[in-house]
Amino acid sequence: MDIYVQLALSGLFIGGVYALISVGLTLVFGVLRVVNFAHGEYLTIAMYLTYFMFQRVGIDPFVASIAVVPLLFVLGLLTERLLIRPTLEAPHVVQVFVTFALSLFLQNLLLTLFTSDFRTVRTSYATAAFQIGPLYVSWLRVAVFVVALALAGGLAAFLKYTYMGSAIRATAQDRRSARLVGINVDWIYAVTFALGCALVGAAGVLLSPLYPVNPYTGADMILISFVIVVLGGMGSIAGAVIAGLLIGVVESFTGYFAGGELKQLVYFVLFMVVLALRPNGLLGRKGAEVMDVT
Amino acid sequence: MTNSPLSALLPPIAGFAALAALPLVFSDAFLVAALTLAFLSAAASLAWNLSGGYAGQLSLGHAAFYGIGAYVSTILFLKAGISPLIGMWLGAIVSAICAVFLGAVTMRLKGSFFVMSTLAFGAVVHISAINLRDFTGGASGLAIPLRPNPANLIFADKMVYTYIALALVIVFYVITRLIAASKVGYGLVAFRENHDAARALGIRTLPLRIGVFALSAGLISICGTVHAQYYLYVDPDSVMGLNLSLNFALMAIVGGLGTAYGPIVGALLVSIVSVVMQVYLGDQISGLTQLAYAAIVILVLMAAPNGLGPLTHAFLKRRAAWRS
Repeated sequence: MDIYVQLALSGLFIGGVYALISVGLTLVFGVLRVVNFAHGEYLTIAMYLTYFMFQRVGIDPFVASIAVVPLLFVLGLLTERLLIRPTLEAPHVVQVFVTFALSLFLQNLLLTLFTSDFRTVRTSYATAAFQIGPLYVSWLRVAVFVVALALAGGLAAFLKYTYMGSAIRATAQDRRSARLVGINVDWIYAVTFALGCALVGAAGVLLSPLYPVNPYTGADMILISFVIVVLGGMGSIAGAVIAGLLIGVVESFTGYFAGGELKQLVYFVLFMVVLALRPNGLLGRKGAEVMDVT
Repeated sequence: MTNSPLSALLPPIAGFAALAALPLVFSDAFLVAALTLAFLSAAASLAWNLSGGYAGQLSLGHAAFYGIGAYVSTILFLKAGISPLIGMWLGAIVSAICAVFLGAVTMRLKGSFFVMSTLAFGAVVHISAINLRDFTGGASGLAIPLRPNPANLIFADKMVYTYIALALVIVFYVITRLIAASKVGYGLVAFRENHDAARALGIRTLPLRIGVFALSAGLISICGTVHAQYYLYVDPDSVMGLNLSLNFALMAIVGGLGTAYGPIVGALLVSIVSVVMQVYLGDQISGLTQLAYAAIVILVLMAAPNGLGPLTHAFLKRRAAWRS
């Protein structure tokens, strides 16, 4: 029995980070209607930045976030300006493959710079744990979980209670009407995309004391993130959080009972089942994903 | 210029004759190997283009079909002694059946959702191939013993494969032209350009799209079998990796999506770039070739979203118009 609780708990904790990665992706899709296939590479970049700050300068990952997250925000602004905005009105194939080629570009840039060696941030507190009854709980994982959920909650509050947040939601609902009421839609797009990158940057910082990084780390994570975003409903923040936690738990159980490689198989099959049966996800709005077919 | 059928046939025939002469001109083993790979990729990209280009169904799971072709023929050959000449058809049938099932589930998904579902399909097949060790040899793959015999599609002279690959290119090109000029082709393009308008015209695109998807999967599967016979070795990463799916798509996009010659142009361009990069940069820095490749793709997508083939075509046409 204990083992089930332990598995559920560890799944839930890592699910928090998955949720944070996916929140950025779903936000960008919800507003720009673009799936950023290079989203995972921003995670990798953030992890490398955190690693080098820790390794070379000795800055703790949680402190490094003060620099890493704004850097990712700026990187997001740049990407939006150079690659996303010019292709927003382009044919769908251009949109998909520009971000895919960007992913390939960044992956190989990181590979050229840092080789494919795994690098690990080894903090002194990584193994610190406390005990509740028969369960061992890592302080670090609890902290990561709490910060991840706090950031996702913070984003939801930002979208709900600030002027900028309202403008972003208005643009997501109807870009033309948003423009009519005087919202600078181009600027909203830029900020939203950058916000998505900053969020995945924060996820990268949180992930770095837990996972080793190499140029392909983000590409592996992004596939999980697609499953989560579609399961939660494209564009739904709450959906991404719930699905993120759910996938974390599912992964933890299948990883324990079926082994590391098969756990991937489980969530890809789950993904296809969701797409087949409920492509608008748990909390997504209908209409974005399915066409009337004949 | 007259518009007789003969003059329309002349450029492709001249083009293919030039391609056939290439291995004889550049007979260096390194270049012949590069050419073989270029032709094989061109054939695979042509197969991808049938569904991805004409119907606009941007699949990133086609490597799964390529891999199924490679594995089915190889497993049948190694375990049952069935010649790959027969095995490649069986592989194509397996791929086509998989494609029909996948298509039935995913063809109603829009744009990026379809892309993601094919990504997931590719990953499922890839992971399965790694884990079904009894059949596939797992991650280390399967080796085919080198016993040259034309009946088993194994040749000691590697240049034979160059011409087999070129033959595939020509056959797939002809199939593409025939489909593009048929009612099916127009139906697919109508769907790609405007789904609702196509429906309003009474075109039932779903069976067409699933059919072409299955044909595309079957054809690319045959390329997979040839790949296995050429390298005499199959492993999940080299015949099913996501990079492979991406390459088939990018070659068609760089050359000219939804044109019959585009994938061939794209595959040759990509191969030339990669040969030049390898010669001048060597392999000392892994990733640099792919880095340049990705940069070129981004530039092409931004500057010439229709691909380089149509861009050149339009340029030549304008030049011709000025002259007359």
